[in-house]
Amino acid sequence: MLRLITIKLLQAAPVILVVSILAFLLMSLLPGDPAVVIAGDQASPEAIAAVRHSLGLDRPFLERLGIWLLRLAQGEFGSSLMLNQSVLSAMGERLPVTLSLAGLSLAITLPVGILIGSIAAYYRQTWVDSLVMTVALVGVSIPGFWIAILAVILFSVVLGWFPSSGYVPFAQDPVLWLRSLVLPASMLSLFQIGFLARMTRSAMLDVLSQDFIRTARSKGLSEWVTVGKHGFRNALVLVITAMGILVSTALGGSVVIEQVFALPGVGRLVVQGIMARDYPLVQGVMLIYGFAFVAINLAVDVLYTLADPRVRYD
Amino acid sequence: MTMIGRRDFCRNGLALGALAALPLGISPASAEPKRGGTLVYATVSGPGTLDPHVSSSAVELEVIHNLFEGLVALDNQNATRPMLAAKATASDDARTYTFELRRGVKFHSGEEMTAADVKASLERYQRVSPNAKNLADVEAYEAPDPYTFIIRLKQPNVVLLDVLKTPIFPFMILPAAQKDKAAREIDVVGTGPFALSEWVKDSHLVIKRFDGYAPDTSAAGRDGYGGRKTVYLDAARYRFIPEATTRIAALQTGEVQLASTIPTELRGRVEERGDLAVRQVFPVGGTYIIVNSQYGLTANVLIRQALAAAIDIGEITDATGGINKANPWMSFPNTPYYLGETAPTPWYDQKDPAKAAELLKRAGYKNEKLIIETNSNYQWMRTTMLVVAEQLKAAGVNVDLKVVDWTTNAAHMQQGTGEWNLSTTLFGPDHILGPQQWRPMIYAFPSIKGNDALDGAYKEFFAAPDLDQRRAAWLKIQQQVLGNAYMIKIADSGRLAGYAKRLKNQSDYPGILQLWDLYLD
Repeated sequence: MLRLITIKLLQAAPVILVVSILAFLLMSLLPGDPAVVIAGDQASPEAIAAVRHSLGLDRPFLERLGIWLLRLAQGEFGSSLMLNQSVLSAMGERLPVTLSLAGLSLAITLPVGILIGSIAAYYRQTWVDSLVMTVALVGVSIPGFWIAILAVILFSVVLGWFPSSGYVPFAQDPVLWLRSLVLPASMLSLFQIGFLARMTRSAMLDVLSQDFIRTARSKGLSEWVTVGKHGFRNALVLVITAMGILVSTALGGSVVIEQVFALPGVGRLVVQGIMARDYPLVQGVMLIYGFAFVAINLAVDVLYTLADPRVRYD
Repeated sequence: MTMIGRRDFCRNGLALGALAALPLGISPASAEPKRGGTLVYATVSGPGTLDPHVSSSAVELEVIHNLFEGLVALDNQNATRPMLAAKATASDDARTYTFELRRGVKFHSGEEMTAADVKASLERYQRVSPNAKNLADVEAYEAPDPYTFIIRLKQPNVVLLDVLKTPIFPFMILPAAQKDKAAREIDVVGTGPFALSEWVKDSHLVIKRFDGYAPDTSAAGRDGYGGRKTVYLDAARYRFIPEATTRIAALQTGEVQLASTIPTELRGRVEERGDLAVRQVFPVGGTYIIVNSQYGLTANVLIRQALAAAIDIGEITDATGGINKANPWMSFPNTPYYLGETAPTPWYDQKDPAKAAELLKRAGYKNEKLIIETNSNYQWMRTTMLVVAEQLKAAGVNVDLKVVDWTTNAAHMQQGTGEWNLSTTLFGPDHILGPQQWRPMIYAFPSIKGNDALDGAYKEFFAAPDLDQRRAAWLKIQQQVLGNAYMIKIADSGRLAGYAKRLKNQSDYPGILQLWDLYLD
């Protein structure tokens, strides 16, 4: 296992390098002079020159790239201009919100998505299958922004079940924490449930038509054991692949959901950074997210070997 | 020596179109104000800083004006009135201003405010504020005793008090210990009626009643940003909710009692509820088409005047929506420099494409391309310029429309850079504060250079001791700026706020959020 993780980490190194260079290029791809954009519309020429110097924009491109990579190697992800604090510390303050949202969303998505996907596969070509797949299609097709606003109107304004917006930290009140996150996490789950249900159905359909399932049934095993144990275990690799994608989309989708529900998470930080043209912040967050996605893929690879002993990387 | 004190502060007996003084949300027979409770206010986003000396955005100022106070403030007629100063005295040559400070005023830290704090605050302002150029004529600050503060100027300035009352980049007084703090790095300690309690970035901010607050007992009641401020609320909680629909939902569920910036098309959703209402905050700013007088075609005054002749204001405001009212002047109607019907305004809302075509012909226009620059951030700006482009095409102008981001757009206008002939923007407090505040904007945005008549009118303005003389100079300035179409005025604009009717005693003064005197029923 250790060998596998080492190999995967070595394979991830070039990806991380490319992500770092792409994040760096964000500054170079800005239209016009980034220093003017960053210094703001009321800046004097002296202030613009100071920004240019502080960001090293007055140095040659390759030198800037070298300094950027060197600083990254030392764990420096830059500083936010609008917050006047380091990107790592700004993210650290907001990460619990985003992780709570993404975690709760996955906690809703995984059982629901797998269950309805499996049901659709078991009852394939029936009205149950059609219903589940139609709901899944609606889930992946409806824009999250729009459905979130409708959910606020229905569940907060009309029914009064949940607060319309805001976040309560877990340490302050676990019940209010859960109440503040149920609606946004459910909305974030809608897309994911649709996606996971379709993936699960497809994987289960493959498995349920295999000979060993027929054998299991002919041995007289119950349907629950046949489908739930033998069938699902063999479909798990595809589901794990889907889970890796789901974690990534949960982090990405939180940008929109945090905005609608006014949750003070990393997604909202990025939106504010973009609106304020705080490029060092956007650059830093983009880079950290890039690293996180590499780590998620690594975790998925490790999970493959645990879920299916036939999977070997050597 | 000229004594300027309390209500007649810098007013010079001018008859103004006074605002009605009746507060909103309270009937004459209403019960006594109730003390206690927390007002929850939904605003679009949170402040980046609470350092008053570097703050110009509304989301920052709507907190800052409840925490800090300055020597003087805008009253509800937009004239100057004392706040932390009890009295101000200007020397006859308008080069020395002496402020007698109110006694017993405490900072939130418990220390008494003295002249040393005022001196340190203005010295810090000169060091860190983007608006510091307004103090460029200061020769020295003096604090001869704890309750006397003196400003000595290098040259006469009859409008120094008007400069000091600005609500953006406000001249707020901080404890002297903050003097050497860098921009955006102060401890948030002021003399205002509320003190900062909690601030969670991107989430919420709480201010609580400052029980040691010393109200200005010389006033009968609140008066704009000044006067006698009474705090009934225990606390106010600002919640940062960017989505308008979510802000309205929070109002409907009772989670908040006041919500800023309600889109016009959604006001019905607030008003359909019997316990909620919408308040029009007007005027907030004035919208303008900016004409670049240093680039290509629009360096020619005849071309600029042709463009102004083609503009139909009604078509523009119909397309952009929102709260708009026609006003040909660069001052709001309830301000000392508003000129009303005293002079003709032939430059405004001409909607005359034939005249435009005639002027273009006289200018020798040969179908060269006229570049309009707008941005993708503000929909009203983009819509405005799309309508303007069509109006100019109808007058025979060859128009090219470019869309960039707002920061680039604004930087081009402020610094006179980029390749563009027309753009648009909104100016805010300049319409309240008058010609001295307008000066840098007037010269910078359309890149005015070498206009001797304009330079002369401004010289007259700063030398005129009498308000009527200054109003006459302001007329000449506007005739130059608008008559020669360096800028084309569109309209005065406002915004909507939603509130629960149990929130009582809101002021109808259309300024930045004032939480004193409000109470929850």
